[in-house]
Amino acid sequence: MDAAVLAIWVLRLLFLAILYAFLWMVVRALIRDLRSAAREPVRELGRLVVVASPSGEPAAGSVFALDAITSLGRDVNNAIVLDDEFVSASHAALTYRGRAWYVEDLGSTNGTFVNGSQVDGLAPIAFGDEIQIGQARLRLERART
Amino acid sequence: MTAAASGQRAVGREARRFRITPRVRGRELGLLSLVAIGLFIGSLSLGATERLKAAQLDGDPASVNLLGPADPAFIVVYLGALFAVHLALVIAGRRTDQILLPTVGMLGGIGLLLMERLPQDLAGRLGGLASTQLVWLVIGLAIIAGLAIAVRNDVWLRRYKYTWAAVGVGLLLMTFLFGRDVNGARLSLTIGPFSGQPSELLKVILVVFLAGYLSENRRLLVEESTRIGPLRLPPLPYLAPMVAMWTIALGIVIVQRDLGAALLFFAVFLLLLYVSTARVGYVVLGLGAFVVGAAALYFLFGHVRTRIDIWLDPFADPNGAGYQVVQALHAFARGGLIGTGLGGGLPTIAGRPPIPALHTDFPFAALGEELGLVGILAILGLYLVLVERGLRIASAAQDEFRAILAAGLSLVIGVQAFIIAGGNLKLIPLTGITLPFVSYGGSSLLANAVIVGLLIALSERTRDPLPPPRRLGRIRRMLDRGAA
Repeated sequence: MDAAVLAIWVLRLLFLAILYAFLWMVVRALIRDLRSAAREPVRELGRLVVVASPSGEPAAGSVFALDAITSLGRDVNNAIVLDDEFVSASHAALTYRGRAWYVEDLGSTNGTFVNGSQVDGLAPIAFGDEIQIGQARLRLERART
Repeated sequence: MTAAASGQRAVGREARRFRITPRVRGRELGLLSLVAIGLFIGSLSLGATERLKAAQLDGDPASVNLLGPADPAFIVVYLGALFAVHLALVIAGRRTDQILLPTVGMLGGIGLLLMERLPQDLAGRLGGLASTQLVWLVIGLAIIAGLAIAVRNDVWLRRYKYTWAAVGVGLLLMTFLFGRDVNGARLSLTIGPFSGQPSELLKVILVVFLAGYLSENRRLLVEESTRIGPLRLPPLPYLAPMVAMWTIALGIVIVQRDLGAALLFFAVFLLLLYVSTARVGYVVLGLGAFVVGAAALYFLFGHVRTRIDIWLDPFADPNGAGYQVVQALHAFARGGLIGTGLGGGLPTIAGRPPIPALHTDFPFAALGEELGLVGILAILGLYLVLVERGLRIASAAQDEFRAILAAGLSLVIGVQAFIIAGGNLKLIPLTGITLPFVSYGGSSLLANAVIVGLLIALSERTRDPLPPPRRLGRIRRMLDRGAA
């Protein structure tokens, strides 16, 4: 009788112990995952993917890492040069302010479009949005983690 | 011979075309082994306790052989299903999350042990309680595997968000009109041989719709044009969905008398608004609307007032209205620090468990009695792990839609667990909602399985390009025409 009660006690405590062992292993895995994510240096704030580029420069599919301020235009002094006759010399700028991305039209001739609607001055954009500059279509994406 | 060889080569080509390369999931396997050991020990503990009880009733406790699990078939089938899902995920070879499945497996297994221990006729006209629960658990695991393997593209979710919303509202209206009343709440809907609780599925549909809506209109919601005192609000038309959501929540309370679902929907809605806009103003405004609505409901509707009154003082009528809550509090008290052990809780009163609706609404109280404070803290920890994983998947997602979807899905599980655990503990008014993966009930298990399956699918670290956003508009069509 006493042995039976003792055995049940041991089993009960063992069950709780394994529950906590499981939790400990899971939490350790989570912390390791977070640490490795934090250890990776964040070089880029976001990336710009060229979806379509009829002029061929830059080629469709190419990817640009973005700084806090990235200028786009036909002039060679821009961070991203779009060699397209519909693009103004200094066409638009992508800026990262606070915790959000903005696109700013710098008084271009043919305008800047986000998901098909024209940008008037400064407009906030989100990851996954498509920006149209001249004939080129570019998509803002999250930095690779 | 050659035909066979060429056939094999063709199969190899097929496999390459679909890029199926098995990938070892070591962490998942390790955690699942621990789940298997834990559930086996739990089953042994349950079996020994029940055998000792039976022997004491017979008056011959000395001669009994205590060793052996309670009912080996249940635990073997369940663990077999868990490892089968693991094997399927290994063969599919996607780089997906390895922690969600073992965590859900642990919760489901604890729920199964609890169902084995309760009177088996609680399930009603169906078979035994535990065997029905086991069938639903296995179907749920199959859904998790299916979604985690098959969902590679989310276009079908993001494109048709208004269709999803219409499906959800349709389900809700059908429940309003044709639903069957159970315990004063109109929850279940019977179509032909199937009956289920649409509000369980509705919570998944709601998150999908909100993710689509918020990711598309985030820009407009973040812009501010209205100011009320210190609050900065977006253009007023964009508050319309918030008002609609508030109305739907009120409608659910008034027509369906389902306080839990209303609370869940509104809480998830506010959390997602905050996640997608990072604006405290919305949360303040939403909480204000909640307080106004709750106060109005309290004064207008008897069933809401009863719930609040029971919460404030269950001992005013301990054998009537407050019976469930009082019994739950006694159960927690009996459990103490380490509990009475699985199967060692208070025996049934006249063939019923002491708390009415224990298997659906009060599994947390039952676990509190049998595993004690130590045990339920671990179970709350498991829910926290699920939420952390979901938010981590959201923060690593490639775009707004996936991020909001992952955050919303995991918050649905977390908020549900909070509402029912808080209700059982008399921290908040009790509302009839299920404890995810533990409570008895097919609809709830399947809906939560869909959530976990989608989360695992969303966690893939993909290199595939994203689908294009929806409103590309005139310019692109003009360009396409020009190119043609």
